[in-house]
Amino acid sequence: MSKRLVLALTFVLILMVSAGVMAQTEITVWYHSGRGAEREVTRDQVERFNEMQDEVFVNLVELPEGSYNEQVQAAAVANDLPDVLDLDGPYVANYAWSGYLHPLEDFMSEEMKEDFLPSIMAQGTYNDHVYALGAFDSGLAFWGNRKYLEAVDARIPTSVDDAWTYDEFMQIVKDLQALEEVEYALDFKMFDVGEWYTYGFSPFFQAFGADLIDRDANQAEGTLNGEKAIAAGKWFKSLFEDGYANPNPPGDTEFINEVAALSWTGHWNYNPYKEALGEDLVLLPAPKFEKQATGMGSWAWSITNNSDNPEAAWKFLEFVLQPENIVQMTDANGAVPARSSAVESSELYKEDGDLSLFVEQLETIAVPRPVTPAYPVITDAFTTAVDNFVSGADVEAELDKAAQEIDQEFQYLGIN
Amino acid sequence: MLRNDKKSIITFMLPASILLLVFMILPFLMAFGLSFTNQRLIESPRGTQFIGMTNYFRAIGDNLFKTGLKNNTIFVLVVVPLQTSLALALAILVNIKVKGNKIFRAIFFIPTVTTMVVVSVIWSFLYHPDGLINGFLTTITFGAWDGIDFLNNTTTAFPSIMLMSMWQGVGFQMLIFLAALQEIPDSFYEAADIDGANTWQKFLYITLPQLKHTTTFVIISTTILAFRLFTQVYVMTGGGPQNSTYTAMLHIYNMAFKRLNIGYSSALTVIFFLIILVISIFQRFVLNDTEEEV
Repeated sequence: MSKRLVLALTFVLILMVSAGVMAQTEITVWYHSGRGAEREVTRDQVERFNEMQDEVFVNLVELPEGSYNEQVQAAAVANDLPDVLDLDGPYVANYAWSGYLHPLEDFMSEEMKEDFLPSIMAQGTYNDHVYALGAFDSGLAFWGNRKYLEAVDARIPTSVDDAWTYDEFMQIVKDLQALEEVEYALDFKMFDVGEWYTYGFSPFFQAFGADLIDRDANQAEGTLNGEKAIAAGKWFKSLFEDGYANPNPPGDTEFINEVAALSWTGHWNYNPYKEALGEDLVLLPAPKFEKQATGMGSWAWSITNNSDNPEAAWKFLEFVLQPENIVQMTDANGAVPARSSAVESSELYKEDGDLSLFVEQLETIAVPRPVTPAYPVITDAFTTAVDNFVSGADVEAELDKAAQEIDQEFQYLGIN
Repeated sequence: MLRNDKKSIITFMLPASILLLVFMILPFLMAFGLSFTNQRLIESPRGTQFIGMTNYFRAIGDNLFKTGLKNNTIFVLVVVPLQTSLALALAILVNIKVKGNKIFRAIFFIPTVTTMVVVSVIWSFLYHPDGLINGFLTTITFGAWDGIDFLNNTTTAFPSIMLMSMWQGVGFQMLIFLAALQEIPDSFYEAADIDGANTWQKFLYITLPQLKHTTTFVIISTTILAFRLFTQVYVMTGGGPQNSTYTAMLHIYNMAFKRLNIGYSSALTVIFFLIILVISIFQRFVLNDTEEEV
């Protein structure tokens, strides 16, 4: 009996002592467990962070990506958010608007602000406050098959300024379609109905001089269903009607199997494409229509207002956003490094690197998706409209419907 | 134990009642309350406000919801009679006493115990332009058949989903019919034989009347299941193409979890509940009628 008592007391003593030693701040970090390589890097960074100092201890919680947003939303409603979490770009505004996020600009030095790519700052800023900072950004452009481009004597542009014009682009598409080996000149990944539609196709609307909404007035009427948007929609639909692109591809194999000549997609396809095409793979800047536009935005880190210790949380963010750690991440997932200083030390993205065009695009022609709490409705309405008119519905009627639904949401939110 | 021993009645009812209360009744009451507010999944900085009947007025003008309800109705009208008759036919078939009929029972029942998501994914492949169904049709017509993209065509998408749903659901109803068939005493058929009745007459005057209760049950349960149509369309078409497979449940889901509009989708849920309630009450009438007759 007394032996047990001694044992118990010893335990209590050990606990008390260790509690004293561990007088460090523990912060909880939620993370969407995406692709394997990304996950391993994040784990490694957390481990190294915990080892290198003893003030802050990071407790990393990985949540499955499929239901990540739902879990965060539920936690927000239940007032149960962690100190730090990563958010998918378009949701940042929603959480910031609801007052869940802690502004980050006061933690940042001027040099740091300058060092981040403008696209990262644009996507993370809502109402003049920076609420989210990503370690990487995304890049969107055409990938081409050099064999086919040379077969039709197409000019191969290498910089943003040098991009194909509208007439050039249409002529090249027509010529490519005429090649015997080419089933479809263009590959738009139409099987991926969802956020890809807004991310991938709203730049075409912007290139026609239109947009999803009037970003100052918070209104879609007149913009999303304006003349220029209708022209963009009709042009996009015609690419499918004229047989240049497959509205229902059997899967993500058209470009890899070399039955499509040009593929409109992001940096994430670099590895599979490089593997399939090797030296024949060329990266082409977004074409120049009335304007030139491409997509941006990815997952980004935020500190919540639920955190008792935003300073400790920032220490962790500062660590994962260090150029070396950014490059460790982007080497693993292939994305664009978020800071200029990191870009320089990245094999793929540094000047004359295979993918440096993405950095140039992000610095010049990338347009953020609307940073507004109405974004979930905007993207859903736009996706539905595109999906419907590509499969035959009337462009004007579909865009009218989408604009109406978006404006209804602005009204509902009381921010128009 | 006495039949009206209140203590034991309460004790036995308690577990089920608590579960029903916590997981069915309370959430529904909450949805009813939320339907009068502008509650969002990510809350508004102004908090949740009472906005009266606004959500209900909005629902009246919601064309997508109407499209969903229309599709649900078509689905019920087509699937319920077809699936019920098919289930009865299968039940009679596997009730014939031949060797191996148990194997057939198992085969017809397998789709029912397979998860709907899995079934949907597999059928998406079958329906694909280069899929098994098109391949089969091309082969037996010696190439005359041109592959149809079943799920991406406004005229074929919904019928394709109906066919798959029936295939998946029919096994369960078959089992219920089978149990009922085996309850019918052999003496009825023996008496009919002596009277010189043929097979068709036996089916019409013995089997069908004896199955009246079962049939009513099968019809009601199939109707309710049919109204809840969600998984198939969510996985296979997402409501498309051009909303030709859009259903009310899918709309409620989209409003709540894609557009974060909890208040509005709660209002839609209440409306949808009332519609199903009216239909169930109507069917209950039919059921009571038959009980009096028997």
